[in-house]
Amino acid sequence: MSLTFLFRTITKDLAKVSFRQHVQSLHTGCHLLAAEKALLMKMRKNTGYTFMNCKKALEKFDNDMAQAETWLNEQALKEGWSKANKLEGRKAKEGLIGLFIGDKAAVMVEVNCETDFVSRNEKFQQLVKEVTFAAFAFHRNKTQSQAGYVKSVLVGDELNKLSFGEGASLSDQVALTIGRLGENMSVRRAVMVGVPAEWNIGSYVHGGVSGQTEVAMGRYGALVVFQGGEEGKREFLGRKLGQHVVGEAPVSLGNMDDLPCGESETRLLPQTFLGDPSTTVAQFLNGHQARVLDFVRFQCGETTSEEAK
Amino acid sequence: MASLVGLRACFSALQLTSPSLWHSSLKLCVVPVSRRTFAAEVKKTYSRDKPHLNIGTIGHVDHGKTTLTAAITKVLAESGGANFKSYADIDSAPEEKARGITINASHVEYSTANRHYAHTDCPGHADYIKNMITGTAQMDGCILVVAGTDGLMPQTREHILLARQIGVEHVVVFINKADAVDDKEMLELVEIEIRELLTEFGYDGDSSPVVIGSALCALEDREPELGVNAVMSLLDVVDSYIPMPKRELDKPFLLPIESTCLIPGRGTVVTGTMERGVVKKGDDCEFLGYNRSFRSVVTGVEMFHKSLDRAEAGDNLGALIRGLKREDVRRGMVMCKPGSIQPHKKIKAKVYILSKEEGGRHKPFVTNFVPVMFSLTWNMACRVTIAEDKEMVMPGEDTYLVLTLRHAMVLETGQRFTLRDGNKTIGTGLVTEILKFTDADEYTWG
Repeated sequence: MSLTFLFRTITKDLAKVSFRQHVQSLHTGCHLLAAEKALLMKMRKNTGYTFMNCKKALEKFDNDMAQAETWLNEQALKEGWSKANKLEGRKAKEGLIGLFIGDKAAVMVEVNCETDFVSRNEKFQQLVKEVTFAAFAFHRNKTQSQAGYVKSVLVGDELNKLSFGEGASLSDQVALTIGRLGENMSVRRAVMVGVPAEWNIGSYVHGGVSGQTEVAMGRYGALVVFQGGEEGKREFLGRKLGQHVVGEAPVSLGNMDDLPCGESETRLLPQTFLGDPSTTVAQFLNGHQARVLDFVRFQCGETTSEEAK
Repeated sequence: MASLVGLRACFSALQLTSPSLWHSSLKLCVVPVSRRTFAAEVKKTYSRDKPHLNIGTIGHVDHGKTTLTAAITKVLAESGGANFKSYADIDSAPEEKARGITINASHVEYSTANRHYAHTDCPGHADYIKNMITGTAQMDGCILVVAGTDGLMPQTREHILLARQIGVEHVVVFINKADAVDDKEMLELVEIEIRELLTEFGYDGDSSPVVIGSALCALEDREPELGVNAVMSLLDVVDSYIPMPKRELDKPFLLPIESTCLIPGRGTVVTGTMERGVVKKGDDCEFLGYNRSFRSVVTGVEMFHKSLDRAEAGDNLGALIRGLKREDVRRGMVMCKPGSIQPHKKIKAKVYILSKEEGGRHKPFVTNFVPVMFSLTWNMACRVTIAEDKEMVMPGEDTYLVLTLRHAMVLETGQRFTLRDGNKTIGTGLVTEILKFTDADEYTWG
């Protein structure tokens, strides 16, 4: 009884005090004209920047939409960088694997963010796509003259320095996306593979996102480099092998005549084949006259062996 | 009582003083209040006098969901409806996550004048879907938190989409950080935008309640109009806008049979725990399961060897059935209101597959995998067909599966079940759709 009484008196008094303060603040607020408001809404719809910034831009350029937009774009990069610096160090364990296969070459990248809400957003997926293409372009430039098997891995800073479009670096693009989505992000690693003409690259992406057609994206990705296989069935073979690598997470390749050692087998070739539990991977490959030469597996957010050291 | 009068005097004096004094004088007043609550801190018993509801907050990571939750507990703590939990208390969930514990949603409870609430925060889409499937945290309604400074973020679409997917029908919007926005018209624009987006996702955007305020103000006891009062009006809106879910008692009765026993001279009694509804002596009933179905009448209801007029959901009871032979029924069948439920052979379900750390499989599975399905008191072998867009299912992910049972068993939309293989629990699921069993689904069981 006394408690409720106390509460009631407190709220009543609080309301009185707040009312006085509110009256004071009313006079200081400025009002927008109706026309400006419509313009502001339009600006926000077109550019997606915050209302605050849109308003600043419109005020600065006297409602000139074109100028305001350019200014906003410049501003976005600056804000992106400051935001990126602020958020640095926050854990980013979610994200996506991006995978692209070109002519006898393939890239796979991992881009991280904080929540899977963001990784489901198309703005983030756009970033993953850009990173994938940037890595692919870099690989193409570097290996034009080489004909043999090339595999290169890029981590952290090396990746951020990759050029992207005219003069901008990949890290600028990441900062821009951070500014827009407000979460810490990082381009973590990339692997690029180039093979000679008679070899093939198989790939599989798991937990994929729909709507992205050019670059396959998901939570797990695998590249398998193999030789042989029947004509016309290679894509299927590569996909099945990739699926096995994603599912069974082998650590090393092993030899074709290795004997399997039970459930905990970590060598690829003696493992039980995922698609048909009655054979091992080596037996499956023999059946298709194929040979696996190398493989790479990415799992989003996993701790890699180099980092663990 | 003397202290109350003192308090009152303190407040009236305050109205005469300048706002800058407001902070320091409040601190003085708070001391006796908090001291009072310590005395009552003997372990409380949970009283069931108010209806219970589950709500949650969704929104961008930096928009103040946790701050709002802390502010709600603080405001309600003053009326005795909650224990104040600071930001750090609530934020312990990420720590648990780092330690690999599966509780991904922090749980906070509080009660308003009319209702008792369990408050959940959902850190991620996949985490939330998992909670929904396993039933650890459900939401009857949710509060969408958007910062007035940033407005909608691109991923707010994904947040609302999640609410849609998990079947939340009522969304209340809280525009936070209003104290950091100088131009109040900005807040209006943010509000218009949110309403548009809600409408786009099939919610009633125009009449969805929107509350503008600042959780930080409420926590720091400044600008009560945006702080404490806004939080209070948010709670009022939640009280009135989010309806009570249908209670289990109002549904047609269902009794999963645990065992049967024969009482010489009287007949056969089936026992079990009432899943839902109310059963009375003289009610018609139907028995279903294992390809059998027949009707009868309940001639007596007993609990702990005492006869009972009516038994309710949650009661552990025995029911005497007219003309029932002991061989007619077995564990796993159900007794229900005639026609209220049907056995089915093929269903679509949303399933969460446990990761290795949670005790599940460490390898993926593909179509034609045959685990055992456990639900109510029955278990039955079933065959898995993975949805079209996937080829395999990895541990630790949620997915849609089509499950075909060896025999038709009682299943309905919204029913929970567990999948096990050998001595391992593989995952839990929630029935989302009943499918028609066709000849193409015939399968030779080993």
